[in-house]
Amino acid sequence: MSATVYPAPKTSSAPPLSQKPGAEASCPAGIFVLLAGGALWLVIATLLALLDSLKFHNTNLLAGQSWLTYGSVQAASSAAFLYGFGVPAALGLGLWFLCRLGRCALAGPVCVFVGAVFWHCAVAIGIGAILCGRSTGFASFEIPLWCARLMFAAYLMIGICALITFHKREVERLYPTQWFVVGALFWFPWIFSTAALVLLAAPERGVLQPVAAWWYAHNFDNVFLSFAGLAATFYFIPKIIGRPLYSHYQAVLAFWTIALFGSCGGIPFGAPVPSWITSLSLAGTILTALPIAAVAGNFYETARMDFGALDAEPALRFICVGLLFWIIAGAQQIAGALPNVSAITDFTLFGAAQKELFHYGFFALTVFGALYSILPGLLGLDGSAWSPKLLKLHFYFSFLGALISYAALLVAGLEQGILLAEGRNSFDDVMGRTLFPLRMSTLGDLLVAGGAVLFLLNFVGVLDKARRQCCARLKEAA
Amino acid sequence: MSSNAPAKTADAPEPAAERRSIPMWLVVLSGLLVYWASLFVSEDAGGFANDVYLPFHSSDEVTAANPIDPVQQEINKGRKVFEATCAACHQLNGLGKEGTAPPLDGSEWVQAAGGDRIAHVVMYGLTGPITVKGKEFNLSMVAWGETYTDDQLAAVLTFIRQQWSNKAGPIKPELLRAARAEKHKGPETAPELLRIPIQ
Amino acid sequence: MNSGPLLFLGLFATMAVSWIGFILTPQMQLTGLSQTNTVAVGNTLPETYPVAPSGEAHAGAEVYRANGCAACHTQMVRPSDLGSDLRQEWGVRRSVAEDYLLREPVMPGSVRIGPDLANYASRADTNDINRLYLRLYDPKQITHGTLMPPYRFLFDTRKILFFPSTNAFVPPDADAPPAGYEIIPRPEARALVAYMLSLRQNGYLYEAPPPESLRAKATNAVPTNAAPAAAKPAPAPK
Repeated sequence: MSATVYPAPKTSSAPPLSQKPGAEASCPAGIFVLLAGGALWLVIATLLALLDSLKFHNTNLLAGQSWLTYGSVQAASSAAFLYGFGVPAALGLGLWFLCRLGRCALAGPVCVFVGAVFWHCAVAIGIGAILCGRSTGFASFEIPLWCARLMFAAYLMIGICALITFHKREVERLYPTQWFVVGALFWFPWIFSTAALVLLAAPERGVLQPVAAWWYAHNFDNVFLSFAGLAATFYFIPKIIGRPLYSHYQAVLAFWTIALFGSCGGIPFGAPVPSWITSLSLAGTILTALPIAAVAGNFYETARMDFGALDAEPALRFICVGLLFWIIAGAQQIAGALPNVSAITDFTLFGAAQKELFHYGFFALTVFGALYSILPGLLGLDGSAWSPKLLKLHFYFSFLGALISYAALLVAGLEQGILLAEGRNSFDDVMGRTLFPLRMSTLGDLLVAGGAVLFLLNFVGVLDKARRQCCARLKEAA
Repeated sequence: MSSNAPAKTADAPEPAAERRSIPMWLVVLSGLLVYWASLFVSEDAGGFANDVYLPFHSSDEVTAANPIDPVQQEINKGRKVFEATCAACHQLNGLGKEGTAPPLDGSEWVQAAGGDRIAHVVMYGLTGPITVKGKEFNLSMVAWGETYTDDQLAAVLTFIRQQWSNKAGPIKPELLRAARAEKHKGPETAPELLRIPIQ
Repeated sequence: MNSGPLLFLGLFATMAVSWIGFILTPQMQLTGLSQTNTVAVGNTLPETYPVAPSGEAHAGAEVYRANGCAACHTQMVRPSDLGSDLRQEWGVRRSVAEDYLLREPVMPGSVRIGPDLANYASRADTNDINRLYLRLYDPKQITHGTLMPPYRFLFDTRKILFFPSTNAFVPPDADAPPAGYEIIPRPEARALVAYMLSLRQNGYLYEAPPPESLRAKATNAVPTNAAPAAAKPAPAPK
């Protein structure tokens, strides 16, 4: 039961994404565009979410414009997060992991660069279309069909290069991160194309549409984003702590059970569908307790509560807190799916709280942790390029923001559900009484948006340093 | 927060995984979760039918919860009359008995388009030879018009017309009322019945 | 777990399981549904259900979608033991697949920041169109503490020419337009109101029969939907 030892890399210990000076030429610009663009979209998504949150305080806020109604802004914010930040972050990090763990250079860097630019443009057009009233009306798939086709084409450009990179790897043994990356790479086009076909291109009849939409949204979160985020978690936690992952086979179990059970779910228990569909969905959701336990147990044994490492390496904080939030969000999803609980909590803000924690608590924080580790290397700098003060402030803003927003929405949702379940309160009364915690979530949204802005500022600082270094080198060469 | 730490990460060796097997607690948990989840599927899946919605658990439950079709209600009533009275001679399987009663199952008299003739038979009785399904029977049937109401007689006729292999339409009580109004004195014979026009 | 092709095959198999379970099998089971009859209760007659919405209601569904109304409102009623929907009088029965047969797109929503709308036309006073417009123009006039924003961009304020328009919306005094002006609902507002008036799920169906208390008064329930299994008549009592 000894640790798997990687064969010594053929070149020096420096990775191919070299940190040697003058390495900009080999800097995979595509990965950089994906990640940087993603960070920008995250700021936009958080600002739009903040605007929506403010509308709960004053319903007349910007109500005069048709493109700024609550529904439009909410759809735009969701699309910006999922397609502007979520997919590019998953792709960018995934490509980086494949290169790093495979000990090879990125295949088709030009293709990746073009694909990345194309993707971001397509998302921008899509969000513009949503604000102009062309949203599809399906949660998590608001992008209109013609735009979805553009995004799919861009994805194929990047995805094929990723597969070639994976194929070209020089290390035979696969580390869990690579499975998760490949899993995410395959899962997204399959669910995206199915949803586009069945919801928009050749729409199914009647209630089959929401079933497919719920299936897609559940798969996007529970499989695609989980795979993408956990890929980073499995990479960075053992690496930064300096200990091997506790159990390879436990990771195998976690991987396959996330794919199998995480994909079967998402249908609300009271949905207008025959009972077998909701029962299967419930069974799948309950069984997601298995990967949660497997991942939690694996990392608990790996880290053994080594809190010293958290102080030494700030990026680790993001990753660990992200993992914790993934576990909590997953547990809440299971609890909320049980019939007795879902009778009270379905269609209340309870579900909104879980999504908030999953997206901004788990995925965004994990990606931030990864970005803090990766981005300087892409620009030919080292980790000291980040401003420690901004980093620390960003961590507290994002962490507390996600926590406050989550807790406020959770309280609001539970209160809403319990008061409605009593049966003697009118809906208007119930919403009046849950207004206070709902408005508290605005504070959380403000902190989350602030954190994203702080990251952007820090990032701009790093870009500036890279530019100065680049100019200095050009002067030297001249 | 030392500035050395991030640099250390970049140069650190790539992570590795130890090949420990899955711990026992996880195996036990898997078993429990699979059992618990399959309970939900077995109870609430409604037999994977497309018309079973919670809170119903099977197609039978849905059918039972629905009010019964009036024709089916008639058949149920008629069955009770048949089993109490007619089955003694015509048998429960409707095949009749040599020397006791002609068959009803597959009988052209029973399945005739209009029910006028069999309405007269149950109302006033039958006597003399009659050919049913190619065989001749020369027996005597009691009149039931005094024992049963028009509704009951209509129900039993509806029953025999839809039971066994018979596939004819239901009989309305109006038909029996019309037959009763004719006020015959005694049982009729087959030739008399044949003179009744079929609607 | 070191082989790329095996990894791909495993992922494909797991994807296939969920795809078959949630996309293919429901499609095979539910795509054959057709219009059916309601279960008549008391003196009512069975009616064809569902009824296709009018063209204007269809246009209204597009307005509903474009404005993201589904972000705050749901359109599905849960059964009595799975939620308080029936106690809130959002419907007489749960929603079933038949209810959405002729709706395109289907927008059941996911969270209730506003009430459920599946049976809006059964609850609202369908004769008071002005009140329906008021719900869009200034919701706070109807429900004081509501979180619903006003949708005034669905209305035009126009100068009265010669005589007031018959289409005009008459707001309460607090929102009255300046003298000499009137408020005309735009086609989008009219379509949206037509759509709201088409939201009705109040006939009992085979899959959602009347409750015990009303069953004695019901007169028929021949399952006429396309499912072969349901075509059996009720079993005769032994």
